[in-house]
Amino acid sequence: MNYRNYIYSLLLVAIIGTSSCTKLDEKPYGLTNTGSFYKTAADAKSAVIYAYSILPEVGYYSRGYYIITELPTENLSQKGDAGVSNFELDQLRTTSTNSDLDNIWTYLYRGISRANAVIINVPGIENMSATDKNQIVGEGHFLRALHYFNLVRLFGEVPLRTETLADVSQIPAEKSPVSKVYDLIISDLKSAEELMLPAKNDEGRANKAAAQALLAKVYLQLASAKTSSSPKYEFVADASAMYDQAKIYAGKVINEQSNFVFTNNLPDIWNTEVYKKTASEHIFDAAVDRTGEIEGNYSKLTNMFLAGDRPMTILYDANNPASASINIGQGWGHFLTEAAHYNGYPTNDKRKSQLIVSTYVNDGKVYNLDIASSSRPFSRKFIDPLRIGDKTSCNSPVIRYSDILLVYAEASGPTADGYAAVNKVRSRAGLGILNPALGLQEFRDAVVLERSWELAFEGNRLFDLRRTNTMEKVLVQQYGKTITSGAYFFPIPQRELDTNPLMKP
Amino acid sequence: MTRVLRLALCLLLILSPGILLAQQRTVSGSVYDDTGATIPNVTIVLKGTSSKVSSNADGKFTISLPSETSVLVFHYVGMDTREITVNAGERTLRVDLKSNAKTLEQVVVVGYGTIKKSDLTGAVSTLKGSELNRTPASSVDQLLQGKIPGVQVIAPGGQPGSGATIRIRGSSSLNGSKDPLMVVDGYPWGDAGQLKQINPEDIESIEVLKDASSAAIYGSRGANGVIIVTTRKGVAGKPRISFSSLNTISSLSVKPDLWRDGADQAIYENEAALTGGTPAAELPYLGQVRSGVYFPSIAELRGLDPNKPQWPYNTDWQKLVYRNPFSQSYTLSADGGSENTKYSISGNYYKEEGLAIKNDYNKYTSRLNLEQKLTPAIVVGTNVVLAYTRNNGGGLGITRSRIFPAYDANGNYFRTSNTDYGNPLALANGLLNTTKTVDVLGTIYANIKLTSWLQFRTQLNSKFGNSVNDQYDPNGVSQRGFEAQGYGSIDNANYSELLNENYFTVNKTFGTIHTVNFVAGYSIQKTENRSSSLIGRQFVNDNLQNEDLSTAASKSITNGLSRFDLSSFYGRANYSLLNRYLFTLTARADGSTKFGANNKWAYFPSAAVAWKLNEENFIKSLNLFSELKLRASYGLTGNQGISPYQTLDRFGSARYFTGTGFQTGFGPGLAGSNNEQGLTIVGGLGNNSLKWETTRSLDLGVDLGIMDQRFTLTADYYVKNTKDLLRLKTIAPSAGYDQQWINDGEISNKGVELGLNANIIQGKDLSWTAGVNMSKNRNKVVAMGESTRIEVGTLYESVRQRINTFTIGQPMYSYFGYKSAGIIQTLQQGIAAGLTGADAQPGEIKYVDLNGDGVVNADDRTIIGNPNPDFTYSFNTSVKYKQFDFSLQLYGVQGIDVFDFAKMTPSRQILRWTPDNPSTEFPRANNSRGNRASDFYITDGSFLRIQNVTIGYNFKPNVIKGVKNLRLFLSGNNLYTFTKFNAGYDPEVGENGINEGGYPKTRAVSLGLNVGF
Repeated sequence: MNYRNYIYSLLLVAIIGTSSCTKLDEKPYGLTNTGSFYKTAADAKSAVIYAYSILPEVGYYSRGYYIITELPTENLSQKGDAGVSNFELDQLRTTSTNSDLDNIWTYLYRGISRANAVIINVPGIENMSATDKNQIVGEGHFLRALHYFNLVRLFGEVPLRTETLADVSQIPAEKSPVSKVYDLIISDLKSAEELMLPAKNDEGRANKAAAQALLAKVYLQLASAKTSSSPKYEFVADASAMYDQAKIYAGKVINEQSNFVFTNNLPDIWNTEVYKKTASEHIFDAAVDRTGEIEGNYSKLTNMFLAGDRPMTILYDANNPASASINIGQGWGHFLTEAAHYNGYPTNDKRKSQLIVSTYVNDGKVYNLDIASSSRPFSRKFIDPLRIGDKTSCNSPVIRYSDILLVYAEASGPTADGYAAVNKVRSRAGLGILNPALGLQEFRDAVVLERSWELAFEGNRLFDLRRTNTMEKVLVQQYGKTITSGAYFFPIPQRELDTNPLMKP
Repeated sequence: MTRVLRLALCLLLILSPGILLAQQRTVSGSVYDDTGATIPNVTIVLKGTSSKVSSNADGKFTISLPSETSVLVFHYVGMDTREITVNAGERTLRVDLKSNAKTLEQVVVVGYGTIKKSDLTGAVSTLKGSELNRTPASSVDQLLQGKIPGVQVIAPGGQPGSGATIRIRGSSSLNGSKDPLMVVDGYPWGDAGQLKQINPEDIESIEVLKDASSAAIYGSRGANGVIIVTTRKGVAGKPRISFSSLNTISSLSVKPDLWRDGADQAIYENEAALTGGTPAAELPYLGQVRSGVYFPSIAELRGLDPNKPQWPYNTDWQKLVYRNPFSQSYTLSADGGSENTKYSISGNYYKEEGLAIKNDYNKYTSRLNLEQKLTPAIVVGTNVVLAYTRNNGGGLGITRSRIFPAYDANGNYFRTSNTDYGNPLALANGLLNTTKTVDVLGTIYANIKLTSWLQFRTQLNSKFGNSVNDQYDPNGVSQRGFEAQGYGSIDNANYSELLNENYFTVNKTFGTIHTVNFVAGYSIQKTENRSSSLIGRQFVNDNLQNEDLSTAASKSITNGLSRFDLSSFYGRANYSLLNRYLFTLTARADGSTKFGANNKWAYFPSAAVAWKLNEENFIKSLNLFSELKLRASYGLTGNQGISPYQTLDRFGSARYFTGTGFQTGFGPGLAGSNNEQGLTIVGGLGNNSLKWETTRSLDLGVDLGIMDQRFTLTADYYVKNTKDLLRLKTIAPSAGYDQQWINDGEISNKGVELGLNANIIQGKDLSWTAGVNMSKNRNKVVAMGESTRIEVGTLYESVRQRINTFTIGQPMYSYFGYKSAGIIQTLQQGIAAGLTGADAQPGEIKYVDLNGDGVVNADDRTIIGNPNPDFTYSFNTSVKYKQFDFSLQLYGVQGIDVFDFAKMTPSRQILRWTPDNPSTEFPRANNSRGNRASDFYITDGSFLRIQNVTIGYNFKPNVIKGVKNLRLFLSGNNLYTFTKFNAGYDPEVGENGINEGGYPKTRAVSLGLNVGF
């Protein structure tokens, strides 16, 4: 054969052969990572938006948080086919394989990972005003503190993660004592308070007052838990100093700012078109909007509460027959209001008549909801008459003005300040003033009870019972529940125990 | 000096025929095949010379021979080469050639070359295109079921256009691909299972490479085995034009188990609600209006209510929703060519109607194979495939209550409440769901014969495809349409691929002792997959469907692209000593962009030996075996079946509402698909060391043939061990991630394969062949890093767990759940069993407290079943008598556990536990039962199916003028299934063994016609 053919083909081999030895580096398409991000002010803002976006997700404030914090109390139970994890929580017999606990644990740490990314990466961004940078880093600290505060109240001793994850060798982490977790929470919140601006931020984003409000709640937690000998709070040195701090920070929110205010009419507190657009009680919310595309952008929390029989029309103000009729749609009736809570309100408490739906109209027919049936009266706090299908704009309230007023009252004790704060809340509810002759403990007990009505279904009750060491007293002795496990701290999820070699149950 | 000598020798050679011409005679004859038909284009060579002729269109030939005794050699593709001695004085000949389909001379296609079947050292099975059943199949994959030992084909359901799951010698990957590599005409197309682009009638042969020796040449894509499809090529001669058609009418193969009487259903539902805690006054069927719809009472349904007429509705949903679908397939093809140009061209139209109304699948494919000899040494050619498909609609349910009508008084679809989106007629007529795909696949190649023993081939392959899915859910038809107030979407996906292969082939025999065959080459492949999705929600009305998404109030867009490159070097050396001892060495080096920076290149060597005992004198002297070969191979293959970019850190993004609108955030943690509870699973943590999975496999085989290959047996034993499994490792959630791709873990497969073929009768008028094959595979998860069990697959809301697991020491997909021990008969029994509350009531399933701690809880779960069969088997036979032919295929699966979620069918619900009927088999009616995954649902899914029966008649040539052959046949597919499984369902379910009642299978009867001109 022709030798030229050899030569040509060998040449071809050589050429293509060499080109095929080129580097096999990947050039990813449409993907961002640490190497290409955190360069500009817009990146910084985007980083903190990402940190916030965990809040309204299904596993966190848009459903999971309420399942975890409300079912174990006397507030809510769940429908029959809700699944074993819900039942375990409701019946206070949680195990480490509880999937709802696994969810909340996972989402809390995802939130921490996102907040860490802000705290660690944003300070290094050049060409950005110090004010903007501080505000964003402050929000990162605020969010991290919020997640750890939730974690420590739910699970107690937990691993403290303050770095971004660059390598698998960082995965093993041991539990930190409760005191260390609080050290981080307080230092984060102090940084947040210092770095953030007092001006009102965008909807769903924190400002200085939010940090102060959360700090007040943290101090009250430490103070009351120590005072009541709640488990694992022995480390708190001086409860009364903590009460003082709680009062100071709650006082800053009540007295030193006007972005968040007391709303006089109860239904207005929960009117999305009011609280999202004017000065309101919503100091910090997980924000959503009905125009969102996926759950987490919008909320379906509404459906968890609303009865599922038929579309419902109610009066805007149930106590005012002249008020507008609003169409609130229909839900899944997942949460069932417990009789213990429903029947526990003082007579004429407007929080029961105005903020719990006990009757509705469908097709001209009036239906009354029976607290003993499977279609029960439900909270009116999460309704959206403008809902699009199942998509609602109901924000999940994380810190509310009334909450801080009651923190202030409880921290102040039976003082003029304390009575003024609690009576402000009571009078709005149509109740008379609190017995002015209460002793310190009686007063604080009364405030905690007030909180159970005022903040019902907002995820506070479990923590109030835990920090006042009254889980058994209230749930067992008063309401006849049985506590098998997880009274003060839930078990750490099995998945974490299985995959984190330094983690012990 | 030598040069002069060589020149002289050449001259002598050239001149010699001229010398011989002097004493010639003319011999003529005809060549016939084993059916008695004449064969055109047979090459006839006078042995020892270059003198040759071809038979004409009628199979006749004339050749000049020397006057003394000579030898003629007859060559024809697909036939045994035959040497005929022509004695002096002989003038006419009749030559019968035998098809080599079953013989040792048959040439088998392997990776980057071909080899004589008798010289194979690896485990390679082969199937002729003509052996495929003639039944509607949108892809050839499902037709492979039961045809080849060691190849398991799972084809659950009968959705038009659906492919099949193919597993060769078991599964050996947890998260990577488990599909074999599909190679068409030398071009690796990718994962098998959906070969819609090739019309089964265009297939010449299918080869399956099963062991490491044969598959190692495909390196990091060879671990799941390789399926090589070869399409028909042109041969020199007059054009052969053929037309075939297949018209099929199908029907439901299994009668669905539905409520036959609305009253029975109402009684059941009332009872279930009452047990479930619904107050007696709120039961469903009490003759009351619920959400605006009147629900009759039981008495009314029975016609026993004195104040009400007999309830008028009794809707037969099966009749409304299902039909007897009609399917068609038409193929027109032409093959032919000259000495220098050869072509094969074909076109096919395929239409398959679904069992469900408004569901159909259409396909148009065409193919051209063209080859041109440029010079005696250079051949160039091209293969082109075009395919277009269109799918409309999908499956529909028929389990809706027959108590309510299909339409309301106004002619609208009847709804039982304003959130009822289950009316199948509304869904069938209301939803738009159409997918169109276009594929263009092309190869150009050049074969250069550098010397008589050295060849170089270079080829350029390209693949381009596009698919568009249009969907629209009007407001009020589906849940999605309601939530979105009109949901429209357009999904686009396209892929493109370019591959260049270059390799040398050496074929050389040294004396009579040594024969060598080498292949060495390299390839480079670039692949790009692109997708985009446009979604609009909330439309003013439903008029435009998804035609103008910009009019939607809410719009979302997603898009993505992934690309990867593969560079490879490969080689194979075959050495045959004395035509008795065969040795093969194969190796491939693959470099892939998909893998971590630390592991870009992978090496896959393998070796095989074979001993042709039948060539040894001591065996020859037995005069028993026409073939007796022992084979052994060992080697490495790989699996790179993961997506690109998995080794890199990747950020996620999410939106958050900040008052005026949504803002987009980026950060660590890439949310993957949501789990069933709407919760996201977060990955995105890179791994620089990620690499391919490696399978080490040993194969020991024997090929045995007696009586000139009339009876053959192939048996193989194999052990496959797969390590470095590509696995999504669950990492501590406190790290902020849920999972990361790692290499970890081990799976083993061991098995035996048996193939038996017999040509029992080989007569001119009557022939009878039969074949049996059997495959037995034992799969075991050996290790998975820190985990002893991983739950995989769907999280079933009804039992709140995943059911399939990978558990150490168990086969893949083993079911995990509770053991049960019948039905609780008394409350005491229930409590004694460790159950509480509603679970302990009489009539509930008695779960077993396995660990004996007095409580039945999650800790009592264990492995409760195995969805992998003990063995699969099939039997094929065909009989030809004169013009008639008959064939039969049986296919069976034995020893398989099905997790039958649909176990409580209405006919069993009727047999439920009640105080009056203390059933020990079926639990009471209870609509709020906390169901658990348990062995209550596990049912033996073994079956034996009459897969295909075909009866054909071959008309004699020219029965119609110009028609060379004409065949009419009737083919019945999936005719009957022998099984003890749930009577309402077909026992063949997906690889994970869970029966959820998918698209029902059909029984098909086809009338086929083949005409050749």
